[in-house]
Amino acid sequence: MNIVVTIKQVEDPATPPSHMVLGASGKSVQSVSGVPRVMNGYDANAVEEALRLKEKHGGKVTVVSLGDSSARNTLKRAIAMGADSCVLLSDPQWELLDSFGTATVLAAAIRKIGNVDLVLCGRQASDSDAGQVLYWLAEMREFPVASPIVKIEESSADALVVHSLLEEEYQRLSVKLPALLGISSEINEPRQPSPKGTVTATRTMVPTWNAAALAVGPLTCKVDMTKLEIQIRTGKAELIEGADGAARGRALADKLHQLELL
Amino acid sequence: MAGILVIAEAAGTGVTRESLETASLAMRLAAAMQQPVCGALLGAGDLANAAAQFQCGFSALLLVESPQLATYVAQQYVAAVQSLIAKVQPAVVLFPHTAKSRDWAPRLAAKIGSGLVLDCVNVTVEQEGVTASKPMYGGGVLAKLVVHGDPALVSVRAGIFECAQLSSGGAVERMELPQLAAHPGIQHLESISIEGAGGQRLKDAKTIISGGRGIGEKDNWHFIVEAAAALGAAVGCSRPVADAGWVSSSSQVGLSGALVAPDIYIAVGISGAIQHLAGISSAKTVIAINNDPEADIFKRADYGVVDDFKEVLPAFVERIKQLRS
Ligand SMILES: Cc1cc2nc3c(=O)[nH]c(=O)nc-3n(C[C@H](O)[C@H](O)[C@H](O)COP(=O)(O)OP(=O)(O)OC[C@H]3O[C@@H](n4cnc5c(N)ncnc54)[C@H](O)[C@@H]3O)c2cc1C
Repeated sequence: MNIVVTIKQVEDPATPPSHMVLGASGKSVQSVSGVPRVMNGYDANAVEEALRLKEKHGGKVTVVSLGDSSARNTLKRAIAMGADSCVLLSDPQWELLDSFGTATVLAAAIRKIGNVDLVLCGRQASDSDAGQVLYWLAEMREFPVASPIVKIEESSADALVVHSLLEEEYQRLSVKLPALLGISSEINEPRQPSPKGTVTATRTMVPTWNAAALAVGPLTCKVDMTKLEIQIRTGKAELIEGADGAARGRALADKLHQLELL
Repeated sequence: MAGILVIAEAAGTGVTRESLETASLAMRLAAAMQQPVCGALLGAGDLANAAAQFQCGFSALLLVESPQLATYVAQQYVAAVQSLIAKVQPAVVLFPHTAKSRDWAPRLAAKIGSGLVLDCVNVTVEQEGVTASKPMYGGGVLAKLVVHGDPALVSVRAGIFECAQLSSGGAVERMELPQLAAHPGIQHLESISIEGAGGQRLKDAKTIISGGRGIGEKDNWHFIVEAAAALGAAVGCSRPVADAGWVSSSSQVGLSGALVAPDIYIAVGISGAIQHLAGISSAKTVIAINNDPEADIFKRADYGVVDDFKEVLPAFVERIKQLRS
């Protein structure tokens, strides 16, 4: 099975807003104090699921990332986890792309890779929280798409049975390959890189494809960012006192009763 | 293209609260644009009652009523909304952000080449055009985004706006759902409903008690269940709890779970990550029980107890029972 996983390098989502600053353009956010950037969490789940499918069916896992040169680190992490090859998609004109633009570049890369059976994407990125790229990509490649996927129940060379999460139900879907899936965190626990994988990653040269290499022309965004604002929370709860935990629990009940909340 | 189309989801025999909230944003935006709002309702059953609830002073109300909408199939929704757009020719389409719309809307946007922003907390008209305010970075950052396209598509986060007032409007008209061939690539095999852990729909719950990773292990989950039963509360959880499978994902509160708006939200063993807080921005009173006085949840909570939940919760529940009897 020939699998492509799209991965994004993001600011660590555990960074509190008080440790974030706006980038020079005012249209990006970065962490202060050199907090390292990480692989988007759902994308790590997607890499893990791809590796499991490869272990079962054989084939190849290629990871692609659209980003600046620092995104090499995230691609190398995927190699260290066990991915077979990687490509960085990078061009100065791609700095502020929206979902449509990002998907256009990814679609061109997938076309260039060729013979792809399955594309796995994280269900959304933890920085933009947009949740759209995978759908645009599926439309451009004319792949059937389902998301958010919490389980791959069955897999064969030409079809999958997956569980997609709705509000109060799972849908069991049969998906014919080639297809695209948006992966959610319930599906697995991503593996840590192995020592051997880490060595392989260190030695890996990351190829870069730019706009010329992919024959992607200038892109006009469908959504333009005009402003970003960091939101810092400063409130403080009234703490309920008492001799011990149980006393505090009772005092909390009394307080809520007195306020006619319960 | 002109005016606003607001699309509601039917629920049971009525219309969802989120739909009415979205309608009130639509009316506000329409006043700023000096353009009309057309309403639309999608649903499987008889929509007469839902239509009566979804009278918010629209120029017209379109009903797309079809048994084919009973099971969620993305292509059906895309086709339905596409035919609504063809009829109304709106400049902006607004709809509530739900598990369904976060799936059909990007498909529709990609199909018609429209700009789309999901999960917005406001929409205004600025010099640059229709502008959506959207939380990013889990809620730590607010972005302003100009949405291009004919029409511009925007989904609206629950719990931000008041429900629109009932007010009579133009004619109610029924529309046919376009007939679709089954999608060759995807076949719906089965829908497996998830039992709500608290037996109550989280979004409508007045009281919610949620447990987080601090509960420690699945065998401790009964503390939350028992407290919920005593309080008459719905049960929620943070993401690690859903990921670990202690309870189903339908109980997850937060950015990638349910956005809730209870009168009282009790967070037990939850640290207060922004992605979790994004789900409770509309909760009226938040109470936190956490043994770490530095936990971020205490910045959001109104009242807090710093201690082991195993000490606090049973005593709290006993006292509530006493006070109520
Ligand atoms: C894109 C994205 C989307 C996300 N969506 C969501 C979402 O929808 N919902 C969500 O919840 N999270 C979401 N997250 C995850 C989020 O960032 C946090 O990781 C998560 O909310 C943490 O859950 P927690 O508070 O239960 O666990 P932790 O952060 O581990 O906190 C556990 C807390 O329990 C306390 N504790 C430990 N033992 C006890 C005890 N005995 N008594 C009392 N307190 C105790 C600790 O002090 C700690 O504060 C998302 C993350 C990303 C990147």
